[in-house]
Amino acid sequence: MPPVKKRRRTPRQLARGVRRRTRRAAGRLRRVFWRSLQLRVVTSTLVISIAVVAVLGVFLEQQISASVLNDRVRAATSEAQADRRTVLGFLAQPESEASKQSGDTGKTLQHSGESPLGEATEALANRAGSAGRYSVVIRNRRLPGAFFGTMNIDERSVTEKMREEVLKKDAGENSPWFSDLYYEGREGRPVPGLVIGTRLDTTGTPLVDDGYEIYHLVPLDKEEKTLTSVRQMLVVVGVGLVLLLAAIASLVTRQVVTPVRLTRQAAERLAAGRLDERLRVRGEDDLARLAISFNEMAANLALKIHQLEELSQVQRQFVSDVSHELRTPLTTVRMAADLLYDAREDFDPMAARSAELMQNQLERFESMLADLLEISRYDAGAATLDVDSVDVRDVVLRAVADSEALAERHSTRFDLRLPGEPCMAEMDSRRVERILRNLLFNAIEHGEGRDIVVSVGADRDAVAVAVRDHGVGLKPGEENMVFDRFWRADPSRARTIGGTGLGLAISREDAMLHGGWLQAWGSPGEGSQFRLSLPRAAGTELRGSPLPLVPPEVEMRRTWRGQMTPMLTPATADGGRDAD
Amino acid sequence: MPTRESGPARESGAGGPRRGRGLRAAAAALAALMLVCATGACAVIPTGVRAGAVEDAGRGNPLDSPYARGIAMPPNDEWDPEQLVRGFLAAMASTGDPGHAVARQYLTGGFAGRWRPSGEVTIYEQDGIEADEPVADDTTEVRVTLKGTVTATIGRDGLYRPSSGDLREPFTLVRDGGKRWRIDAGPDGLLLSKADAERAYRGVDLYFLDSKRKGLVIDQVQIPVNPASTRAKATVERLLAGASGALQGAVQTAFAQDTRLIDVTTENDRVVVNLTKRVSSDNVAAMSAQLSWTLSEIVSGSSFEVRVNGESYYPGSPLMIDAQKQLGFDPWTTPADVRPIYLQDGTLHQLGKENVGEPVAGEAGAEKSPRIRPAVSGHVLKQVAALSEDRRSISVVPLVPDGQWKEWVTGTDLAPPSWDRYHSLWTVTHPEPGTSVVLRHYYDDAKQEVKQYRVSAHDLDEVEVTALKVARDGVHVAVAVRDGQGDEEVMIGTVVGEGAGSRIDNLWPVDRVDDKQKIKDIAWKDGKTLYVLTGKSELLEASLTGESKPLVPYAGIESITALDRALLAGAADGKKRQILYWDSAKWQPLVKDENGSTGFVEDGPSHPAFPLG
Repeated sequence: MPPVKKRRRTPRQLARGVRRRTRRAAGRLRRVFWRSLQLRVVTSTLVISIAVVAVLGVFLEQQISASVLNDRVRAATSEAQADRRTVLGFLAQPESEASKQSGDTGKTLQHSGESPLGEATEALANRAGSAGRYSVVIRNRRLPGAFFGTMNIDERSVTEKMREEVLKKDAGENSPWFSDLYYEGREGRPVPGLVIGTRLDTTGTPLVDDGYEIYHLVPLDKEEKTLTSVRQMLVVVGVGLVLLLAAIASLVTRQVVTPVRLTRQAAERLAAGRLDERLRVRGEDDLARLAISFNEMAANLALKIHQLEELSQVQRQFVSDVSHELRTPLTTVRMAADLLYDAREDFDPMAARSAELMQNQLERFESMLADLLEISRYDAGAATLDVDSVDVRDVVLRAVADSEALAERHSTRFDLRLPGEPCMAEMDSRRVERILRNLLFNAIEHGEGRDIVVSVGADRDAVAVAVRDHGVGLKPGEENMVFDRFWRADPSRARTIGGTGLGLAISREDAMLHGGWLQAWGSPGEGSQFRLSLPRAAGTELRGSPLPLVPPEVEMRRTWRGQMTPMLTPATADGGRDAD
Repeated sequence: MPTRESGPARESGAGGPRRGRGLRAAAAALAALMLVCATGACAVIPTGVRAGAVEDAGRGNPLDSPYARGIAMPPNDEWDPEQLVRGFLAAMASTGDPGHAVARQYLTGGFAGRWRPSGEVTIYEQDGIEADEPVADDTTEVRVTLKGTVTATIGRDGLYRPSSGDLREPFTLVRDGGKRWRIDAGPDGLLLSKADAERAYRGVDLYFLDSKRKGLVIDQVQIPVNPASTRAKATVERLLAGASGALQGAVQTAFAQDTRLIDVTTENDRVVVNLTKRVSSDNVAAMSAQLSWTLSEIVSGSSFEVRVNGESYYPGSPLMIDAQKQLGFDPWTTPADVRPIYLQDGTLHQLGKENVGEPVAGEAGAEKSPRIRPAVSGHVLKQVAALSEDRRSISVVPLVPDGQWKEWVTGTDLAPPSWDRYHSLWTVTHPEPGTSVVLRHYYDDAKQEVKQYRVSAHDLDEVEVTALKVARDGVHVAVAVRDGQGDEEVMIGTVVGEGAGSRIDNLWPVDRVDDKQKIKDIAWKDGKTLYVLTGKSELLEASLTGESKPLVPYAGIESITALDRALLAGAADGKKRQILYWDSAKWQPLVKDENGSTGFVEDGPSHPAFPLG
C-alpha cells in the first residue's frame, strides 16, 4: 500500500522531517564547530574581515563618489556662473542694438521680434558644444516666450520642486540637485544627472526682469558608469580579500593546530596508560618547546610511576612475605596456645583468663593474617573466581544464618525481604557469602541493636542485595572511605566484633572481581545502607542495580521536605551509575 | 693585537645584535615607504609613462551641431492680451511640441479645434503687437494686431522663398471664464519671426541626380528642428522624401520608392546610415554620391557605412562609402585647374601659367573676328560659341589646331550663348519685341549638322529674355527677363527633358535688393548660387533660397563669369579693357601681358568665360 503510505505523509510531517533533519545537521555542525579550533578561527576571521571590508568598502566608495561628484558639481557651478554672465550680457545689451536688429524703435527688448534670450541660449549651446557636456534651460514665467533650452533637453527634467527652491533663494544663489534628466528622442529613458538652478542676478541692470531662472543640466551617466565599475571592483576586491584572509587564517591556524592536535592525541594516549608515548620535536619555536616539555613530563611521569610501582610491589611483597613468615611461628604459638587453653581449667583464674585472651587474640591474629594474605593475593592479581549459578536468596540465608549468633549477642534482629522466586546469578558463592557476611557483621556492629533490613532485588540483568542498618550512619564523604583498608569511622570506638579492618576492602575487591558494585550510603542519624549489585551473567557489564542505593523511605522524606536535590551525592566509586 | 681582541668580541656579540639591526632596518624601510606613499610622492598620475590609447568618444552625437530652441510655454493667466498673443507666437515657434498642444492652450476651445497650424509658414519681421483699443477691466473682447513685414515663406516641402509685403494679422481675444484671456480667432498657419525661424528651421543642401544620373543637383530646403531626432537623421529622411517643388520633375534619386530611414548612428567614430531598402546595383554609386554629399557636414570627408535593416549592405561585406572619393562623382561639383577663355583684340585667348594669355589653337586664335560673349563647352573637345556683334548669329569653333568658326544659330537680338553639360547650346531669340523663344541646339556628328529645338517655356513667351544661363548641374537655369513695363528680374527654373521635349519649369524669381535695375549679365557660381551683374555694374550674389548679397561694385564691368570660388569680370575703362578677379575683398586685374603688366589696355582682354555656367 505505498500510495496510502504516501498520502499519510502530510506536509506538516514533511516539514517536521525537514526540521528534524536540519536540527540534526545543525547539531552536527555545532559539534564540529566547537570541536575544531581551526574552523573557529577561520570563521571568526571571516566574520571580522567581512565586517572590516564592508565598512572600508562603503567608506571608500562614498569617498570616491563624493570626490568624483564634487568635482563635477564644482565644474558645473563655474560653467553656470560664466553662462549667467553671458545671459545677463545679452539681456542687458543696449536697446538700440536690439532694435537695430529688429528694425523697431521705441519698444522694449521683450517687445521686439528678436529675442536676446534666444541668442543668449544659442551662445550657451555653442559653449556647451555638441558633445552634450551639459544642457541649459532658461525661462521666465512672467514674460511670454521666455523659455529656451539647448539641444534635445526635455523640460520635464526641471521639476516644480526645483523651481520653487530657486525662486525661494536669493538671485545668483545656486541650488544643486542630483536628479533624473530626460532628453527628447530617447524614449523617456532618464539619465542620472546634476541640475544647478539659479535665479539670474540682475543687480545693476534695472531694465532686465529679475524672474529669469537658469538651469544647467549635467548628465552624469559617465560618472555613474565609472562609479559602478569602481563599486564592482571594490566588491570583487573585497570578496577576494576576505577569502584570502580566510585562507591565510586557515593556513596559519593549521600550523598551530596540527602540533596541538598531535600533542592532544599523545596526551590522550598517555592518559590511556601508554607511558612510552612521545612527541616529535621540530624546530625551536613555542610548539617545539611544548613538545619538549610534554616529552619531559611524560618521561618523568613514567619514571615516577615506575618507581611507585616498584615501591608498591616491594611493599606488597613485604606484606605477603611477612604474612607467610608469621604463619609458621604463629602455628607453633597456636599449638602452644591451644594446649594452654585446653588446660586452662587447671590454672589459676588469672592464668586461665590469660589463656582465653590469648586464644581469642590469636584467632583474630589468624583471621587478620588470612585477610592480609587474601588482600595481597588481590594486590598481586592472583585472585580467581569459581563461578557457579546460584540462587542469591540461598547465599543470603546462609550468610544470615552465620551471623545469627553475633546478632543475638547484640540483640539485633534481621528483617529479610526476599523475593518469592529464585534469583539466579553466576557468581562465586563463597566470595559473595563472605561479602554479605562482612556487610552483616558491619551492620550488627554499627546498628546499635536496631533491626537490620536485608533486601534482595533482581531484574533481567542484575541482582542486588542491600543491607540497611539504623545506626549512627555515615558522615558526608565517608561513603568511599568505608572501603579503605583499616579505616575506622570513629577511632575511639572499640572493635566489639573484632573485625580486621580489611573486611570491606576485601568485599569491594570481591565485588569488583565479579564485575559488580559495592556501594555505601549513609546519613548521620539515619543509619547506612550497603548495596551489592552483581550481573546475572558473569563477565557482562553492569548497567544498573535493581535496588536503590538510598533507602526509599529516606528518599520519600526528602521529597516531601522539598529538597529535591539529594544532599549527598551518590557514591560513584564504581562508575557512579545507578538505577535511580 | 687589537684585531685579535676585537675579532672574537664582535663575533660573539654578532648573533643577537645583527638580527636586531636587520629587523630594525627593515621596519625603518617599510615605515619610510609607507610615509612616502602616504604623503603623495607615489604619484597618482604617473609621469613619463605612455598613456594607453583611449577611444576619442564624445558623449554627445556628432550627428548634430549645438543649437538652442524655444520651448513651448503654457499661458500665464496674469498676462494681458498683448502678452498672450506674444506668448502664442512664441509657442508656435517652439520646437519639441508635437501637434502644437501647448500653443493650443492659448486658444479658446472653439478656435483650438478650428486652428490649422499646418501649411505654409510665414516668416515676418515684427513691428509691434498692439491692441486696437485700451483694455479695461470690463472689456470682454479685444482685437490685437500683429504688424510687421513678411520676409519669406517656407513651404510644406521645406522650400524657403523670399517674399515681401506688409503683415497685419488680427487676433481676437475673449475672456475665457473669469479674468484670463484666450485667442478666439486668428490666422491659420504658422507665423514665425525671423529669429524664431532661424532657430526652428535649419537649411540643408540635398543632392539629387540629373536626368542622366551623372550629375548632382542641389536642393536647398529648410527642415524643422526636431529635438527628438538629429540633424543627420532629419536630413536623410528629407532626402528620401524627394526633391522640393523647385526641382519638381527635373531630378531623379537613386533610392528606391518608399525607402525609409531607420536611423543614423555612429559606431566606432563612423557614421552608419541604416535604410530599409537596397538600391539597384547600377544605382549604388549614385546613392553613395547623394548620401555622401548630403551628409558632407557630418561625415566630413571620412568614410561612412550604409546598412539595410541593420545588416550589411552586401551579404557578408559592408558598403563603406569614402566621402573623399565621392567628390569625383560629378566633376563639375569640384572643378579644378580650369583656365578661362577670353577675347582679346578679336581673337580667343586662354589664360595660361603666370596669368599670361595665349591664343587658342585654330582659326579662333589666329584670325580676328568681331565676336562677343564667348561661351565654352564642358566637352572634352572644347568648343567655344560666340555671339556676333550684331547679335544676329552665333558661331561655334572647336579649339583644335584646324578648328573653323561655324555658324550654328541665326536669329534676332540673340541672347548670349550658354552651353549645358550635355553639349547642347542654349540661346534665346526675340522674333518680336516683348516675346522670347528659347532655343536648344545639338550638333549631330554623323550628319555634320546642327539640330535646333524650341524649348517650351510658357512663362517666358510673353517677356523678353535678355540672358539665359544653364547651370553646371544641367538642371538649374537662370534667366534675366524684362517685362512689358521694362522691369528686369532674374528667375531661376529647371530644365526638364531633352531634345524636342525640353522645357523650362519651376521658374521663380530670386530676391533682389533694388527692383529698378537693368541686368547686364548673369553667371552661375555653383549649383545654387548665381552672380547677377546689374546695369550700374553692381554685383549681387543671389540664390533662390536666400536674400541677395551685394558685392563690392566696380565701375565698368561688362560681363562676368564664375566657377566655384573664382569670379572673373571683364571691365572697360573707355576703350581700354582688362579682366578682373575677385579676391574676396576687392577687384584685382588678372591678365598679364608679355611684359608682366596688368594695366588696362586698348583692345585688351575682355569677356572672360569659364566652361559652362
